[in-house]
Amino acid sequence: MKSMVVIDGVRTPFCRAGSSLASLSAADLGHHVVTALLARTGLDPEIVDHTIFGCVCQPAETANIARVIALRSGVPESVPAVTVQRNCASGLEAVTSACEKAAAGGEVFIVGGTESMSNVPLLFPQSASAKFLRLSKAKSFLQKLKAFAGFRPSDFKPISALLLGLTDSFVNMNMGETAELLARDFGISGKDQDRFAMESHLRAAAAKERLAEEIAPVFTTKGTVDADNGVRPDSSEEALAKLRPAFDKANGSVTPGNSSQISDGAVALLLMTEDRAAQLGLKPLGRILNWAWTGCDPKRMGLGPAGAITAAGVDPAEADIVEINEAFAVQVLAVLEKLGNKIPRDRLNVNGGAIALGHPVGASGARLVLTALKELNRRGARRALVSLCIGGGQGGALWLERI
Amino acid sequence: MNATLLSPDKSSAGTPAAPPAPAFRREMEGDGICHLIFDQPGSSANVFSMAALNDLWKELEALQSTPGLRGIILRSVKPDIFCAGADLQSFRSLSEDVLREFVLLGQRVFSAFAALPVKKVAAIHGACVGGGFELTLACDVRIATDASATKIGLPETNLGILPGWGGCTRLPRLIGLPAALSVILPGAIHPARKARKLGMVDEVVPREHLLRTALRHVNGPPVRRQGHWLTNNALSAIFIARKVRQDLMKKSGGHYPAPFVALNVAVKGLRGSVEESLTREREGIMELAASPKTRHLMNVFLHREKIRRGSSRGEGKSIRNVAVIGAGVMGAGIAQWIAAKGCRVLLQDVNDAALGKGMERIRKLLKDGVKRGHFRPAEAKAALDRITPCSAEVPLHRMDLVIEAAVEDPAIKRKLFEKLSARVGPNTILATNTSALSIGDMLDSPRLVGMHFFNPVHRMPLVEIVRPDHADPAVVNTVADFARRIGKLPVIVADRPGFVVNRILMPYLMLAGELVADGMPPGELDAAMKKFGMPMGPMRLLDEVGLDVALHVGRTLAAAYPDRMSVPPVLAEMVAAGKLGKKSGSGFYQYPKGGPDPADHYHSDEKWRGAALRAAERLARIMSTEAARCLEDRVADSAEDIDFAMIAGTGYPAFRGGPLTYSGVITTGVHAEST
Repeated sequence: MKSMVVIDGVRTPFCRAGSSLASLSAADLGHHVVTALLARTGLDPEIVDHTIFGCVCQPAETANIARVIALRSGVPESVPAVTVQRNCASGLEAVTSACEKAAAGGEVFIVGGTESMSNVPLLFPQSASAKFLRLSKAKSFLQKLKAFAGFRPSDFKPISALLLGLTDSFVNMNMGETAELLARDFGISGKDQDRFAMESHLRAAAAKERLAEEIAPVFTTKGTVDADNGVRPDSSEEALAKLRPAFDKANGSVTPGNSSQISDGAVALLLMTEDRAAQLGLKPLGRILNWAWTGCDPKRMGLGPAGAITAAGVDPAEADIVEINEAFAVQVLAVLEKLGNKIPRDRLNVNGGAIALGHPVGASGARLVLTALKELNRRGARRALVSLCIGGGQGGALWLERI
Repeated sequence: MNATLLSPDKSSAGTPAAPPAPAFRREMEGDGICHLIFDQPGSSANVFSMAALNDLWKELEALQSTPGLRGIILRSVKPDIFCAGADLQSFRSLSEDVLREFVLLGQRVFSAFAALPVKKVAAIHGACVGGGFELTLACDVRIATDASATKIGLPETNLGILPGWGGCTRLPRLIGLPAALSVILPGAIHPARKARKLGMVDEVVPREHLLRTALRHVNGPPVRRQGHWLTNNALSAIFIARKVRQDLMKKSGGHYPAPFVALNVAVKGLRGSVEESLTREREGIMELAASPKTRHLMNVFLHREKIRRGSSRGEGKSIRNVAVIGAGVMGAGIAQWIAAKGCRVLLQDVNDAALGKGMERIRKLLKDGVKRGHFRPAEAKAALDRITPCSAEVPLHRMDLVIEAAVEDPAIKRKLFEKLSARVGPNTILATNTSALSIGDMLDSPRLVGMHFFNPVHRMPLVEIVRPDHADPAVVNTVADFARRIGKLPVIVADRPGFVVNRILMPYLMLAGELVADGMPPGELDAAMKKFGMPMGPMRLLDEVGLDVALHVGRTLAAAYPDRMSVPPVLAEMVAAGKLGKKSGSGFYQYPKGGPDPADHYHSDEKWRGAALRAAERLARIMSTEAARCLEDRVADSAEDIDFAMIAGTGYPAFRGGPLTYSGVITTGVHAEST
């Protein structure tokens, strides 16, 4: 397999759904990061071989959103584009997908992930859409009246596609409920979860300047957005303890405060074969060493990283930097325990995680790669490990190395 | 009748038909259908000369005696021209008698065509304007292709004349008086879909289906069209005419007679016979053609076309990636325009706050463009997508062109170009949007030129391409071609302070400032200059530009030409007092927030009128004098370039031909040879 390197990457600020970036679609966000990436690297889009983007809730108006993003960003029509979907790890899937495609011949890849959770639509029930169809086919006034009379109030009750997306239909459990299950399995208290969440916020707040290096400011109609807006520099265990459990109201411990935030954001990375980078005289941020995708119990999807990290075959103690996506504080804590507590907290999510920064589901995987590589270079360290849990019961892990 | 938009035909309307190959030919398709094909030999365009009209006449005679003829499909075989109208070059050179004969011949031939007792269908692909469109008005049905080359309209009034081959007569009857006036009076040329909406054509189809559709109409029933009794009746016509006349007066100040004459002919033409109306068209043309205004407008039109065509098309490398440095008013305006024309633009500024403001301005420009119908929403979105705002010092080696639009400060620009030249690639062209500073002083490089856009960029067609003494001519040509490709009109000027436009404009503005300082009310002076034909008086213009900006440019020029230019103290005093013009709410006029434009509501005082008119004459002369010096100093390549730059760059009245025409330096034109 050809050695693949990451040349550079850039992201939008991650913003809480319904806030600063809500007016932008997932394609707008993707376009922003790809054009910013092209500007920063000075890359000629003519030499791109494939554009690969992760997106979980692909908007209906931009099917194969990667293609829309690529064309809008000036990537030539002749360059193919594909959208990948592996739920919360879609952004990481884009990276490993590029490596696989390189094995089949490509050299230069624009990869990334995008998600506008603000714009995930509300749906009409199936019963209503059949009635709408009948109404649209009705010709005479009488037919129309009859079709119209067929509607019931329940037909107009919208269904949140976001809620559906965050629910595992196979085991019929909401993601939060799978987190509660881990809390029970591993006996992890709400206090421990809150402490972890607070650290995430404080670390992210302290890392504001460092994180700014990753960000290309977005110029929206409502002003310039240049920083993540979910971070609470004043976060405290006391404040977090006041939040009510969201998924098991009576006995639970998983609250909105110790879960990841629902956010808008996008990330783009420039990947190429090491040979091509050398040929172009580009200095990469780092090399991709290996990765693993594994499956697990969908009811305990949060444990996914443990399986994937083990399957990747390298002792996690060897990592100088570890990024485990913070879908839920309890889920990260369970993974650490499952792995035998080999990952010290001072190497894990050193610049905060999704609890503070937010989790635009399609984009997070690519952000972890970007954040880990930037931190490796900052510290002059050698290896980084990136991992995510995946709704539906999977885990992904990827090893990176500074060159 | 009208003007060619293309290179002039070799044959002259004044001489009898000499070319052996005729401009028209017939091709019979079985079943009694004849293709009448306009195909001017040896030219990429079809235009009507006297000879071409005679050729058409001969074909019509033949068609009249063709047995079993059922229908005619009129078409062109040129790649992107149906017919560009009358040959303007020859039109200009005709004597009065020959001109009358030319107009009459066109009317007779078109009427004879209209009278053929068979179904006639015009199959239009490419430009179909002026006389070309008037010929199709003699058909029963008009089909147009949806190609972008297909443009339909009657531009005659822009040349100071009117549609005289039936356009003023047949169009109001076909599409109703209001719609017809909306085409004839402003000299509008529309894309096919807009023409379809107005009723100018009956159907718009892809080019591949053009002939099939035409054939269907030849064989099919007549096209059903809406009646126009509601607008074309005598009473409505009176009201419409009165309203339109008022609007015309407000818009043009009554300086341009052609739309008024056309309006009269069109309104009267609703009643009575076509013959009578054609006579009025003829009389209108003859009246207008005798006016010096028409001569000037035609000169300007022809020079505009010459500049639009250019001389080096396709030789230079194509420019696709552009960086614009500076996101201020000019930088944002340039970025918006270039992106809307299909280039990818990297917009740079020193910080994100400046970029944010620039992007806001760009979004507003695009939104307004959509509101005004200049773009479709999808086009505006695509234009916005092509602009990447970025404050980091990113690589520029991939850029074909870098346009600097930063602060007008020589030291800053020098430093900036020093840095920029290190970031760009070996083939990147550098350009500065300076309005008056010396370009040679900014960077010693054959790849640096001036590209002086005018504010507001999306409305001002002129770009001064400044050629420093040591510039690479290929670079200058490439930039001029690029300006043409983005729909601007480039005039190449030498690297002398103020180039052409500001050099001529500044003495005018400075003198106006002096006159006001001496007691002349700004409103009086502005009214007098508007009467002269300027779109805006000098004091209002100073307020609009910003007194600080004007002071800066004025000082630059005063330093360069100390013998004759000086900045009146009033300007510096006002700037010091914070009166910067419109942007500060106060200048020579007061600008209350949300209030009406003060210059429009000035009521002239009788006692000033004589003095103001004399002042206006002085102001006009000072422009002409400086223009003559520009010519002498070879700042532009020709007197016509200088006149054109002033018209396109400042709104100098086109009917006066430009400052050099005004002072009699340029004297060619209609009837010039014969009178």
